[in-house]
Amino acid sequence: MEISAETLATATLVTLSGELDGKTAPQAQAQIVPLCQPGRNLLLDMSAVAYMSSAGLRLLLLLHRQLSSVQGQMVLVGLSEELQDTMAATGFLAYFTTAPTREAGLAALP
Amino acid sequence: MDEQNAMKSLVVPGDLDALATIRRYVQAAAEQASLEKQQAYRLGLAVDELATNIVTHGYADSAAAGTIEVQATIDARTLKITLEDTAHPFDPTQQDTPADLDMPLDERGIGGLGIFLALNGIDDFTYERVDNRNRNTLVVYRPASEVSP
Repeated sequence: MEISAETLATATLVTLSGELDGKTAPQAQAQIVPLCQPGRNLLLDMSAVAYMSSAGLRLLLLLHRQLSSVQGQMVLVGLSEELQDTMAATGFLAYFTTAPTREAGLAALP
Repeated sequence: MDEQNAMKSLVVPGDLDALATIRRYVQAAAEQASLEKQQAYRLGLAVDELATNIVTHGYADSAAAGTIEVQATIDARTLKITLEDTAHPFDPTQQDTPADLDMPLDERGIGGLGIFLALNGIDDFTYERVDNRNRNTLVVYRPASEVSP
């Protein structure tokens, strides 16, 4: 799992690449949670995430809660069909803002 | 003809590093069985969720940690994956289904999602306790067009 972060004008862009499982999701959590700062929105580019288990769902929920507590918002970018399938089956998909591209993701943020 | 083709089994230490190795094994079996893309992904997810559960719960006490044995068997109609571990008895079918899947994320718990995804993503599942081992058997029906007469 590779994670990179970039500060944009209106949001922090975090790009994930690889597989989110029981081993890598906690590592991703440790790197991304400190980026959830007051006044910053999060654009999470997952277009290079080929696999996500429930450990990844747990991570998304945690980030969602973390950001809500500092009045931040998160957009998930580029979810594959498979990831959307998993999120739909567990009722997650409806509760996240998603966008096909970074541009559309930025546009979805306030 | 009901010929069975058993792949060489995979035996890995029951730790988090094993998860990716197990996924590769299941992926190879799914390819060999010509599963459709979505079937293959869901099976991989199901096995991964069960294996994660074995590592993080069954073998959570490192003194009790053992191995996970994975075996893929392909016949004309099915791909069968068995997962065996030596942890304390754990029957995934006896777990409560998460009841609050439609609730807003801010109001719900997140326990049980892994087992839910595992049991819902495949065609058949059985649990047995055999010789002090947990045996989880996952079955996926191969696409009909791929079944040779």
